[in-house]
Amino acid sequence: MRDLFRFLHRIRSTLMFIGLMLVSLVLLYNGNAHHRAQAISSSNSVVGTIFSWRKEITDYASLKEVNRKLAEENARWRNRHISTYTPVEGLFARIHDSIFQQEYRVVAAKVVNSTWHKPKNFLTLNKGSRAGIRADMGVIGTNGIVGIVRETTPSFASVISVLSPEIKTSVQLRRTGHFGLLYWDTNDPATASVIDIAKHARVAVGDTVETRGGDGTFPSGITVGVVESVEDQPGNNYHSIIVHLTEDMTSTGFVYAVDDLQRMERDSVQKAHAQ
Amino acid sequence: MIGTVLANILRFVVLILIQVLVLDHLDVANGFMVPYLYVLFLLMLPIELPAWAQLSIGALTGITMDFFSSTPGMHMSACVLLMFTRIHLLRLLSPREGYEFGTRPTLPTMGFAWYITYAGILIVVHHLWLFIVELHRFDGFFLTFFRALLSAVFTFALCLLAQFLTSSADRERR
Repeated sequence: MRDLFRFLHRIRSTLMFIGLMLVSLVLLYNGNAHHRAQAISSSNSVVGTIFSWRKEITDYASLKEVNRKLAEENARWRNRHISTYTPVEGLFARIHDSIFQQEYRVVAAKVVNSTWHKPKNFLTLNKGSRAGIRADMGVIGTNGIVGIVRETTPSFASVISVLSPEIKTSVQLRRTGHFGLLYWDTNDPATASVIDIAKHARVAVGDTVETRGGDGTFPSGITVGVVESVEDQPGNNYHSIIVHLTEDMTSTGFVYAVDDLQRMERDSVQKAHAQ
Repeated sequence: MIGTVLANILRFVVLILIQVLVLDHLDVANGFMVPYLYVLFLLMLPIELPAWAQLSIGALTGITMDFFSSTPGMHMSACVLLMFTRIHLLRLLSPREGYEFGTRPTLPTMGFAWYITYAGILIVVHHLWLFIVELHRFDGFFLTFFRALLSAVFTFALCLLAQFLTSSADRERR
């Protein structure tokens, strides 16, 4: 017995090494599933604060670009606003109608940190649960989708970027309406693949890919990208499509977290249906 | 003693901040090479630290980096592995009569040949582990290997640079 204790004492540093290694491997492999491990993320308030200091400084370098983007976006909305349409004939009058109900609410936030050259990428937003951002909400940018909220603290949120193989967003071709999944396996921040579009669908280079919606994450019809190449491998029933992402993930400045106001209702109906 | 502790805490804070605020955003060839200069803190820890302290400091440093990069366990495992290797490597590389108390494992005190073996092995171990764990897919194995080695060279160069800069500052102060 004493020999055993002496032996254990002698290899105590190796034992400690094995213990610490096990802890980190557990964290590593449960990192995406386990909620405790998810808390090790950049939405932590100390980390978020340090990143936002950095952003305060680097923001000045990109002000011009951000202003241009915001102005462009304003122009786009203005084009869709009712006041830019003049009635051609006096046949229709606008009345207060109750046909439409607001389905989505957006929260504007600033990206304080982002990566795009790792195998799995994240963004940190400067707003969190206090601004109404919750886990699983979709995040869109000026020109396209950005990612999905993973974890929030009162004033920060960490977002899994679309440049991560664990996110598969349901998308469709705007022209034909065929469904597929957006999946990032290209290792290039400017492109992604669309999988699961059957070969009989006619896909052309230059087709627009948009979100399908209905999953409670993204509204439908948000532009995602433009088809860059379509390949058909023999023996595969699906196209291999590469799309060029319309949102430049390397320069995302302001983004919108999308809150689906009907999500709970829809989820409960779907759950009732599944049982 | 207190001075050494304070110097190490300061080094920890400064190196982690440089890492997460500057180096992680350095876009060398679209992220092909990423220097992890923060390991210099682990390399410069006092030689006579007990093994348990070395391992715990390694784990703590790793988890701090994990918080910044949202990668639970990745840096932690790499740092723990680095510290375990370091414990044994220091024993292997020790002079016949042992280290003098208070010897610092730095380039100016230990000489180039010793330092390149010491820092080279530890940085390569850390980087290889980190890059291979980061990539879950196996297809780019050799590319990853190459990336890890190139990044290790980059990190090593930065370590040398950092030591030249700070040691000359020391001399001026004296």
